[in-house]
Amino acid sequence: MGKIKKRWTLLVSLSMLASLLSGCGGSNNNAAEKNNSDASGGNASPSASEATASKEPLKKVKLTWYLVGDTHKDMDKVMAEWNKMLEKDLNTTVDLKFTTWNDWQTKYNLLLTSGEKIDMIFASSWADFYKLSKQGAFLDLTKLLPEYAPVTWGNVPKDDWGSVTVGGGIYAVPNTNPEYTPSGYVYREDWRKELGLPEFTDLNSIEAYMDAVKTKKHVTPINGLVYDNVNVLFKSWNDFQMIGGNELIAATSYDTPRDIQIVPFTDKYEAWVKKMKEWADKGYWNKNSLSSKQEAGDFIKTGQGAIYWRNPSSAGGFINEVKAKKLNMEIGYFPFTRFHNYVMPTLPSSNAMAVPKSSENPERSLMVLDKLRNDPVYFDLMTYGIEGKHWAKGKDAKTIVIPAPGVDLNETPRFDIASWGWRYEPNMLKEEGGWDGLDKLKEEFKPISKPDIFGPIYMDYDPVKTELAAVNQVFEQYGKPLMLGLIPDVDASLKTYRDKLKKAGIEKLLTYVKEQSNQYFDEKGIK
Amino acid sequence: MSTQVKQLAKADAFKGNRIKQDKETIAFNIIGYTLLTLVSLICLIPFWLIVAGSFTDELEIISKGFQLFPDTVSFEAYKSVFSTPEQIYRAYSVTIGVTIAGSLLGIFLTSMAGYVLSRKDFAMRNGISFFIYFTTLFSGGLIPWYILMTKNLGLKDSYWALILPPLLSAWNIILMRSFMKSIPESIVESAKIDGAGDFKIYQRLILPLSTPGLATIGLFLALGYWNDWFNANMFITTDSKYPLQFLLYKILSSAAVLQTNNGAYLAANVVPPTETLKMAVAVVATGPIILLYPFVQRYFVKGLTVGAVKG
Amino acid sequence: MSGKSGIIRELRQSKTLLLMIAPTIVFFIVFSYIPMIGVYYAFTKFDFDGGLFGSQFVGMENFKFLFNTGVLWNLTKNTVLYNLAFIFLGNIMQIICAVFLAQLSGKLFKKTAQSLMFLPYFLSWVLVGAFVYNLFSDLGVVNSVLKQLGLHSYDFYLHTAPWKFIIVFFSVWKGLGYGTVIYLAAIMAISDEYYEAAKIDGATIFQQIRNITLPLLKPTFILLILFSLGGIMKGQFDLFYQIIGSNGMLYDATDIIDTFVFRSLTVNFDIGMGTAAGLYQSFFGFALIMIVNFIIRKTNKDYSLF
Repeated sequence: MGKIKKRWTLLVSLSMLASLLSGCGGSNNNAAEKNNSDASGGNASPSASEATASKEPLKKVKLTWYLVGDTHKDMDKVMAEWNKMLEKDLNTTVDLKFTTWNDWQTKYNLLLTSGEKIDMIFASSWADFYKLSKQGAFLDLTKLLPEYAPVTWGNVPKDDWGSVTVGGGIYAVPNTNPEYTPSGYVYREDWRKELGLPEFTDLNSIEAYMDAVKTKKHVTPINGLVYDNVNVLFKSWNDFQMIGGNELIAATSYDTPRDIQIVPFTDKYEAWVKKMKEWADKGYWNKNSLSSKQEAGDFIKTGQGAIYWRNPSSAGGFINEVKAKKLNMEIGYFPFTRFHNYVMPTLPSSNAMAVPKSSENPERSLMVLDKLRNDPVYFDLMTYGIEGKHWAKGKDAKTIVIPAPGVDLNETPRFDIASWGWRYEPNMLKEEGGWDGLDKLKEEFKPISKPDIFGPIYMDYDPVKTELAAVNQVFEQYGKPLMLGLIPDVDASLKTYRDKLKKAGIEKLLTYVKEQSNQYFDEKGIK
Repeated sequence: MSTQVKQLAKADAFKGNRIKQDKETIAFNIIGYTLLTLVSLICLIPFWLIVAGSFTDELEIISKGFQLFPDTVSFEAYKSVFSTPEQIYRAYSVTIGVTIAGSLLGIFLTSMAGYVLSRKDFAMRNGISFFIYFTTLFSGGLIPWYILMTKNLGLKDSYWALILPPLLSAWNIILMRSFMKSIPESIVESAKIDGAGDFKIYQRLILPLSTPGLATIGLFLALGYWNDWFNANMFITTDSKYPLQFLLYKILSSAAVLQTNNGAYLAANVVPPTETLKMAVAVVATGPIILLYPFVQRYFVKGLTVGAVKG
Repeated sequence: MSGKSGIIRELRQSKTLLLMIAPTIVFFIVFSYIPMIGVYYAFTKFDFDGGLFGSQFVGMENFKFLFNTGVLWNLTKNTVLYNLAFIFLGNIMQIICAVFLAQLSGKLFKKTAQSLMFLPYFLSWVLVGAFVYNLFSDLGVVNSVLKQLGLHSYDFYLHTAPWKFIIVFFSVWKGLGYGTVIYLAAIMAISDEYYEAAKIDGATIFQQIRNITLPLLKPTFILLILFSLGGIMKGQFDLFYQIIGSNGMLYDATDIIDTFVFRSLTVNFDIGMGTAAGLYQSFFGFALIMIVNFIIRKTNKDYSLF
């Protein structure tokens, strides 16, 4: 019934996950090509004068920008104000559009492949920036940047430009706002104190905590959806550095990047899944945790769970929510960075702005971005909303209050559009009254920060895509239950898992990942 | 058929028949009422649980699961659904407008197509039926479709992008064809002899005779339009043009995003919707369309008119 | 009727009919046939600059992932068997409900029952999935009842056996109202004369149903079955995905082509491979429907789909 719907369902769901790499045929690309050459070739004469401005008035231009995520209730008002300023300063207006969060990846890729006229779009390593750049979705900005975004060109660190360089061309403007998003656990700190348990430091202390919660509090420590909660602990504790976005091939530690192995074939993995079988049998999580629909954190809120995987900023969100709901509990946070005492900042390319090839006015679009990033008036408006409404000045120039005094957050929700792409640290303002743990963690992380040498390894899986699909299939079917110790016999299941992986061609995949990684390490001089 | 009935009637025409018939009717009624009551309950209870859930306190749902009657009644979920009431009302009117326009146009085109394909004297009927059915087997996928809609037809952000795609479906047309096949051919024949044109026969005779069929297809079309969020998701970019289902679907979507690995990169201020909100959304979205069904039921009248025309 | 003049005469004769169906034909050409060129993606290694026709032709390369894993047979079997169960059980339940609805006398009861049967149609699979989980989880309704009866609880999510029935049950449950409407409309189209004649002849209500209603529903039944057969290789992705989720332990009995393809491409989505999988499903549906339709045409022309 509803055949059309059915037909769509699969297509949509398929494409929801990852990108549809696709194009719409010669004509668009030719047009894009032309724009490209217009943009870069035409630099010298007429358009150059456009940048140096003032002498000749700028031609009136209307741009279309796209951001991922949802719009805000007051977006019209904010845009009206922004466009007023833009029109005065650059004789430009921007039509800002949003993908909305549902199926954003599908829509994001369709926008690029169909060649719709877009002058600036959010780009990110987690939105297939590298893949798309390599396939020619974005405009090479190398020549345009010094001319049309001079301030940005000057204040983005050289390494950061490196992270958005693909095949010699710069395909995006990265944000400049170093952040740390390591994994960690939020947990019931009040229970830990009550039960007289040591603070978390290693696996044993975590195990002791779970055991006490289970036996003395009679609460399932990790309730609801469990897989990710266990998997992040596994990776962090053993310091496996996954490479190329799959869950099976990893460097054995940060210090041995070239020792790349198939994770389930290692002794560490074998020891781990045996431990997990014990944990599962002791009831640290439920038998149906692979089918659960509920986040582990939801159960903490109802007093039926104790542990939930979060990164520091989302831990802050969780802790603030618990406070706001006046739930009678104390929540602690333990970042897994303490296992091995180092942390990697997020890649600059994880939040960036790029110009699609279909853009008719790339120069002007860059000029607007330059202004937006670097002019605090522009920056504050588009990042925090309207002053006096969404926010107000705090006790000093670097802090703000959200919302502005006398404004009801229910009426005027916080201004939270996906502004990550243009964030620039010197312009960022700090919110008063947030979770103070976040700042403490930042202080903790800064001295132990090491560069991310794994994230930028871009893997073009095309030559081994059949093997990858097969391996992923085996992982989903056998790897996940094994990780959660839900099988009756670990040894037998592990053997099946390894055999199936071999049959699926994991060794071919390993060879390929090794090749690509070593190539990158050679390039960067990493031993 | 009728010979079969007659034979049977002859075989059964004994005395005492009436009593037996009554007994059987009673048995039939008992089975029928029991079965339908059971089926109705099985269909009602999950829905009731969802409705009850939408009025339950968030933490209670997580800790206790679905309950027939919540311990503490809470309107929080509805408060957040209706936090921007203007938008909900506007979305309702978009949905209602699109549903009415699309269903009317759809039923007109579907019934014409169904009628033409049901005419035995129309030589191309099998070819065209195949041509239509074939579209359910193969599809080119999302990309060519998207490019067609936006670049070639220029329907981005247009109400037509909501009305056109669900307008005709092979399923509806073929169903319509089968409904119309059951109208005796003699009616068409006699009208033809009277000199009526094909369109006139369709309009004056066929349409009034196929009310149950029209009601069914009309209902399916209306349901299709009402439940469609996909086209809006793909093509509508202005919030004031969002239909209801899409608006509500959008409310739920941030949860899905947060559950993916990408969630780790997102700012902490993306608040996931709560369990009760999901249910409230389902209730708000389906509420009015459920009322449509009893309305459609009045068209399910036994085909007496067939006899009337015949006689 | 031969040669050119025959065709022209034919066209002229059915000019009005052709005009009446013309919008439909145009609609399907535009919205279905033109985008169908996209199936070519299945045979290319896609690249952005080349687009659909400029990309490299790779033959059957994109189909390899389906055949290489060795589970295709099991998947195909699961998909086909589930669909057959859905189609036949679904239709039978719908016919039973429609027959009773048409014959019972209590008007209010009938209307209420009919409306209630439509409710599941409105629940999204996401909610149904949550509901199913609430029934069968460790602390779910079923296990609570088992405990209260002093029986052992049962780990539904570790065993494949019950899921075949659970899935079929919910599929039939969800489509019940929708399908019943079709059969009800078909029953309504049966002239009262038949029943009156039968009553005069003294036929009981069961005899009326067996000898009038059911035979007259046969064309509709065959039509609906035929229509569904074309999609026999396409599974209801949402149903399986929302009820089973990523529970690998249940896959042997519950994995269908659609969920398999979905999982295979989670790490690296590839438009060529996605299209290839769809084409595999379409092709078998197409072959099957052509054969079945041919047989039915030979036996009874009226029942065939085209």
